[in-house]
Amino acid sequence: MSEAGLHVSHLTKRFGAGDTEVTAVKDISLDVAPGEVVLIMGPSGSGKTTLLLMLGGLLKPTEGTIQLNDLELNALSERHLPDVRLRNFGFIFQDFNLLSALNVQDNVAIAAELMGMGRKVAVKKARTLLTELGLGHRLRFSPEKLSGGEKQRVAFARALVNDPALILADEPTANLDSSHGHDTMRLLRDIANERGRSVVIVSHDQRIKDIADRVLWLEDGQFKTAVMMATDPVCGMAVEQGKALSADWNGTTYHFCARGCRGEFAENPASFVSHPARVTG
Amino acid sequence: MFRLAVANLIQNKTRLAISVGGIALALTLVLFFGAIFHGAQGRLTAYIDNAGADVWVSQQGVQTMHMSESALPASVVDEVEAVTGVDQAVAILYTEGMVQANGKENIAYVFGVPPGATLGQPWHIVDGASAPGPGQIIIDHAIASRMGVSVGDQVTALGRQLTIAGLTSGTSSLVSAVSFVRFDDFAQARGQGQVVSFVLVKVSPGEDPSTVAARIGGQVSGVTVQTREEFASQERKLVSDMSADIINIMNTAGYLTGLAVVALTIYIATVSRRREYGVLKAIGVRNSRLYQVVVVQGLISVGMGLIAGLGLTLLLSIIIPRFNELIILSVSGSSLLQVATVSAVIAIIASLLPARQLASLEPVTIIRKGG
Repeated sequence: MSEAGLHVSHLTKRFGAGDTEVTAVKDISLDVAPGEVVLIMGPSGSGKTTLLLMLGGLLKPTEGTIQLNDLELNALSERHLPDVRLRNFGFIFQDFNLLSALNVQDNVAIAAELMGMGRKVAVKKARTLLTELGLGHRLRFSPEKLSGGEKQRVAFARALVNDPALILADEPTANLDSSHGHDTMRLLRDIANERGRSVVIVSHDQRIKDIADRVLWLEDGQFKTAVMMATDPVCGMAVEQGKALSADWNGTTYHFCARGCRGEFAENPASFVSHPARVTG
Repeated sequence: MFRLAVANLIQNKTRLAISVGGIALALTLVLFFGAIFHGAQGRLTAYIDNAGADVWVSQQGVQTMHMSESALPASVVDEVEAVTGVDQAVAILYTEGMVQANGKENIAYVFGVPPGATLGQPWHIVDGASAPGPGQIIIDHAIASRMGVSVGDQVTALGRQLTIAGLTSGTSSLVSAVSFVRFDDFAQARGQGQVVSFVLVKVSPGEDPSTVAARIGGQVSGVTVQTREEFASQERKLVSDMSADIINIMNTAGYLTGLAVVALTIYIATVSRRREYGVLKAIGVRNSRLYQVVVVQGLISVGMGLIAGLGLTLLLSIIIPRFNELIILSVSGSSLLQVATVSAVIAIIASLLPARQLASLEPVTIIRKGG
């Protein structure tokens, strides 16, 4: 297992030039320790995906440095990046993105084989990993015959098979129902705890906050520090307390994403308090 | 990645079947025309191959039987026979003419063979006499069948009425057939009593045909001397040269069709998996590895198409002669090698277009928009 340690310093990404220049990420610094789960949240267009792509070596930053262990990512040439991604990063995508022509076992083994592992060893490792993730009975299944949760676990296994230092997950629960979403969150936490991996998650899903060590709010390409977050008790959306509409009921202040939710709440507050407002720093 | 290439191919079996079928048909076209040509070419030299002569002597400068006229003085036969190493020398007459009967006619290579000669006689008789008698002719049974005649019937050849004495097999092709008449009948019909077309030579046991041919060439003036292999080779070359353009056009059409089919198939297969290839690039797969997948898919498709096309051609080569004996299909090793080589090139060319797609594919695009 490789030792993880992600150090991001003054990272900036600009697209375009002149009048059309857009700064998607502005001067961001971030350290992620081994075993830590960091959740990055924020509204659409805030720069979350751009940041994730840069962290994964899929997009070159305009300025700043990204260091993973002894590896300075932005100093590497395009030629070296594929190998670095293969050996150091595990990617988990929103749409699972499994290879439809390969069975479950081969979807995982192929990543190991690509890194130079022999076929037999790669398959053995894939089978072990999949069995640990509860898919021992699905090894020969085609991805299309799996449930959403199972597909996501296969994606997890593929991300883990090369023992990467850092797991990058893009909306890992977006296409999962509540039950599978919880399973996924638990898995992410376990990966960090038991395997010592650093995990960076980009998501809108409030539930992930339960398993995150840190939640960072990204807005306009910058982390907003000390932002107090709350969950709209009506729709469940994450809202910034300072900017959200609010209403008091029974001695507690509740925050809402829009007038509609606040109005709905006002009609029958008792029906919504089973989702207590939660505050995140 | 080989496993992925194979899995990608076999995942959509209908598409694979259409692709392989299309390639197979295109390559069958090439192999089929090649086989017909090779089969006809084989029949074209049937007489040379089966006349029993080790060496052929013709008029000086005449190197082929077709598209040329060889006339030698009859005295040459004795001169040739006197050369050391010559066991037998037999003069024959030859012309290209027509055999007609029942209002039907067929191009014929007519040979006038001396009675009792051990060289130049019919070699595979399926009905009737084994050599023509006076006023008789031996023709191919397929031609006889086409004209509706059999042994004992009359046909017109060399401008005379001749009676069919026997029927041969393996002596006809789409364009012509070998016929045998007596030497003196031929000479009488053509008024060529002191002239012969070729001298067939059987060398003595233990003699090398090339050596004897060189000796004859050195001792007999006014002749061109070739071994059987050289003579047959010149004959095939002549026909190849004459047919090269049409064969090339046919082959090019077949290859281009195959190229279009395989290129389209691989392109569609690649584009439909664009996202999956993007994922592979994102997790760290190099472009070169993805090219390998596409090229392997192309090679496998073309390989399967080639095998299917060869199978189809071999099947046709069995079936077609049963319905029409004049059409002989013979798949040559060189033709198969050529088709296999060109097919491999086609597979690689067909993979270039999707390879460009892969090269320009940004893994970033597989990550959702927004955020």
